[in-house]
Amino acid sequence: MLFIKCPYCGIRSQNEFAYGGDATVKRPQLNKEISDKEWDDFVYNRKSLRGKHLEFWHHISGCRQWFKVHRDTATHEIFKTLKPNEEL
Amino acid sequence: MKSVSPLNNVHELGQFGDFENKNVEEIIKIKEIKNIFIYQIVKFKSSNKKDNELSLDNLDFPNILKVNSNDNTRILWMGPNNWLIVSKNNLSDELKNNYFSSDFAVTDISHSRSIIELQGSNAKEVIKKGSPFDIEKLEENNCTNTVFNGITITIDNIDNSTNKIRIISLRSFGESLYHSVTDACLEFGYEAI
Repeated sequence: MLFIKCPYCGIRSQNEFAYGGDATVKRPQLNKEISDKEWDDFVYNRKSLRGKHLEFWHHISGCRQWFKVHRDTATHEIFKTLKPNEEL
Repeated sequence: MKSVSPLNNVHELGQFGDFENKNVEEIIKIKEIKNIFIYQIVKFKSSNKKDNELSLDNLDFPNILKVNSNDNTRILWMGPNNWLIVSKNNLSDELKNNYFSSDFAVTDISHSRSIIELQGSNAKEVIKKGSPFDIEKLEENNCTNTVFNGITITIDNIDNSTNKIRIISLRSFGESLYHSVTDACLEFGYEAI
């Protein structure tokens, strides 16, 4: 069980959250010509990192806000949580 | 058209569980709050209105996890730019006149929420049995969204002196939540009023 600090509500149980995927993936720029490989990378291909990882979480049973969590996937230690527009 | 409350089929009046040989204060009182107006107000990102300038029924809008209330109305913070109004008064006209669709999404959700009110010295113990939220940290006139046995709920701490707490859920989860809550109440004894 993880305890995650929502940037809006404070520390809450993992039960209230939903995992939202890799937060480092950037959508290709609008109207820019991109290859099928780049589109595949954006839509499907993900690294399965062991170690520090920046990921999106959704406080779905709380304030219903998306935010970023900097977490170690091996130890589950959470270093920092940020609002979506904030950078590490 | 006849209005049917969300818990009409399950809220059976009487005393249940281990209520014998206990003080009246120890027995949990369970009540369905019905025939009440509920509105959701969401402020758009594009809006220039400031939160501290907003008011309704002579109440300012509350900050994070807080509730502002008077005798008839409670305004609950639900999330950034998102509030829930629970009121005995029909506030439709005030909302229509002051909360324009260019800045706000105002929705009447009176029909789509189920509200259970718990009162008694063991009310917080009941919450602890189903929710991971630290209910002891929830002060009077504070509210929070959390889960109870997997059901998303809003807890509104109305009064610490009488241990009165409201649990708000989606109407469709109301009966299931009622069964969960009353099941958790059995060991303390409860009176459905």
